[in-house]
Amino acid sequence: MLDGFTTHFIDLMKTVGLNFEFLTSGYEVRMWLDGMVTTLVLVVITIPISLIFGVLFAAALTSGKKWLAVPVRAYVELTRNTPTLVQLMCGFLVLNMLISNALGGAQNNPLTPFFWVVAITGLHVAAFHAEALRGGIEAVPSTTIEAARAIGFNSLQILRYVELPLAVRSALPSIINNLVNLVKLTTVGSAIAVGEITYASIMIWTQRDNVVELMLVILLFFSLINLVVARIGFWLEKRLAVPGFGQ
Amino acid sequence: MLPNAGQVAKKLLDVGILAAFLIGASSAHADATLDRIKARGKLTVGVILSGAPFGYIDPKTQEQKGLNIDVAKALAAGLGVELETQTVTPPNRIQFLQQGKVDILIANMQYTEERAKTLGYVPTPYDRVGGAAVGRKDSGIKDWTDLKGKTACVSQGSNYTQPLIEEYGAQVKALPSQPESLLALKGGNCDVAVHVSGTVSLMLEDRADEWKDYAIIIPSDLIPSDSVIWLRKGEGDTQAALDNIVKSLHVSGKLIEFARTNRLPSIAYLEEQQKKLKDGSQ
Amino acid sequence: MSIVLKQERAKQLPFGGIFAAVLGLTVIAWLFLNQSLGQVLLEWLPYLAKGFTMNVLISILAIAIGTLIGIVLGVMELAPFAVVRAPALVYVQIFRNAPHLVLIFAATYIFPFELVIFGNYVPFPDWVKAVVGLAIPASAHIAEITRGAIQSIPTAQWDAAQGLGFSRSQSLRWIILPQCIKRSLPPWMNLYASITMGTALASLVGVHELLHSANDASTAVQRTDFTVVVYLTVLIAFFLFCYPVSRFTQYLERRLASR
Repeated sequence: MLDGFTTHFIDLMKTVGLNFEFLTSGYEVRMWLDGMVTTLVLVVITIPISLIFGVLFAAALTSGKKWLAVPVRAYVELTRNTPTLVQLMCGFLVLNMLISNALGGAQNNPLTPFFWVVAITGLHVAAFHAEALRGGIEAVPSTTIEAARAIGFNSLQILRYVELPLAVRSALPSIINNLVNLVKLTTVGSAIAVGEITYASIMIWTQRDNVVELMLVILLFFSLINLVVARIGFWLEKRLAVPGFGQ
Repeated sequence: MLPNAGQVAKKLLDVGILAAFLIGASSAHADATLDRIKARGKLTVGVILSGAPFGYIDPKTQEQKGLNIDVAKALAAGLGVELETQTVTPPNRIQFLQQGKVDILIANMQYTEERAKTLGYVPTPYDRVGGAAVGRKDSGIKDWTDLKGKTACVSQGSNYTQPLIEEYGAQVKALPSQPESLLALKGGNCDVAVHVSGTVSLMLEDRADEWKDYAIIIPSDLIPSDSVIWLRKGEGDTQAALDNIVKSLHVSGKLIEFARTNRLPSIAYLEEQQKKLKDGSQ
Repeated sequence: MSIVLKQERAKQLPFGGIFAAVLGLTVIAWLFLNQSLGQVLLEWLPYLAKGFTMNVLISILAIAIGTLIGIVLGVMELAPFAVVRAPALVYVQIFRNAPHLVLIFAATYIFPFELVIFGNYVPFPDWVKAVVGLAIPASAHIAEITRGAIQSIPTAQWDAAQGLGFSRSQSLRWIILPQCIKRSLPPWMNLYASITMGTALASLVGVHELLHSANDASTAVQRTDFTVVVYLTVLIAFFLFCYPVSRFTQYLERRLASR
């Protein structure tokens, strides 16, 4: 049944000049489908990581404590102004080697390429979240903060119950935008052998001549993921909207 | 909710524009390669610079050197044209050839049946190599069968990928090129790195201090096969012209000379070929 | 509603600059202590610099082409006719969501290596394809920036201009566009920084830009300490180029916000 469908699909595509012959090779199809799953897994893992660290970074940046704010600010500026691919190469090829040496041999180093992609892209986007949230936190009227302090909130409580809820609402459009970028960024994993969809496609097209076909699928796949991310964002924005705030 | 006509039209347009963007540009291949090479007075060769002895950048002069470059020069001289080299990497070399960006590939690319289905090649090989596995001396890996469940780093587009996965059950991680793969090996992201044997053995020898914990840990080569010059399918004239030149390079001993100056680890195969071709031509 | 900004915001220290200085000094100190390493890096610097000019060239051409096409698309998105609007919307929707890396792959492997223009063969080198690969997403983003900027101008201004005797094109030229340019400058510069950083992706398709040159150098020299230094150099080079752009963007944003 499925085989029939596949051959039918390959024939159909042939009539419009597209070669999907690789679908008959079990080894390649497995790699390709695994690639799609890996991309989805990457997205599902990196999004929460970027959000958690975004909040932590924003809290550090607005804490008023120099020992917290300065290193975080330095990281934010570094990551925002250097290419993610270069960071990934520095992390995976250079830092990873130094870590291995420090641990007394590569066999003691548990860090995988997957870890590096998640860490580098997740923390990179976290820096952008942090900037958006910081703007939102700083825009909270000082009178509101004073009122919160007057009813006995400490600064952590103010952050948790007053500043963040307001900041999230005003930062949401930027955060959604950052998440769309994050989804796109996961493709750099292909450069360090993380088996996501771009990597799987490279592995297939280097042995065949079907770049166009694989490219079409990748573009549609990412359009779809990002459509979903944007829809969820839009829904959240509507849901969280506070009448009269941020208009 | 049912999609209305507008939405359907938009979807169709989506596909149409993508297709136009992607397909419209895809069909402009060059043909009659030999005529074109002669007309332009230039042979464009895709070479790989993944390390000595096959192709590398001289650290002092920053010029391209190696066996691939020497063979390319000899071919251009044999055709009586100038040489233009274009560096390629394993993941882009086939596309560059198919597009016509390069006329031929001398790029550490061995003969496989799969490749011969889509590409043409010069029947007389210029070398014969297999894959060597570099790993830590204390890794306990002694044979290709020991790789089951272990991680092997290769280059993207390497012909070692499929045998490593399908025959030996290794986990393969493919990186953009050999240098990245070797750095990944050092960082501990793979148990072995599998590359063309000549390059890695020479590197281990030249950089003994950097690589003191590493060695070629599996004595046999993985799928030793002929290094051939690749070209687009159906270009018989070019193929015949190049084949004659390669044959004469074998017979005259030029290839052996190239191998010696570039310090190829083994020239037994080239000597054998020279003998065979000399006997054949008498 | 009046918003009282916290005081800290005004006196933000250039931490990034301090950071870059510290990083740079560390590398210099290291090279000083290990002179043979410094020597090798010095030998390779011209090669690396040549690579970096390629990054700058690609980024400038990509943003220039992207801006021209993007403005047209942005205006198209606001057209009163669906026939004009739809293709622009579809283009923007697809290419804004497409990963830069994938578009660079697509441009490199799908476009021919040379074009035939009036019977002449014009080469279409890889780096130009990288320009195309980055100009496509750039144009999609610029279309959105343009659309947003035009929409952000209250329609009352059109009416007011008409009342003062301006024609539609005159009011566009003298009243609406100058405001649009001012408003879209910060996002445009952010996009430029992002495109510049995207140029590193071209290394993966074999364009000889900085990251690729660093890889070449590291392969040729084959020393662990050199590999570390050369990749750090790449990081610092991009930082030194992008950080001033980003500071200037922040300055523009603040100036705009304070109005």
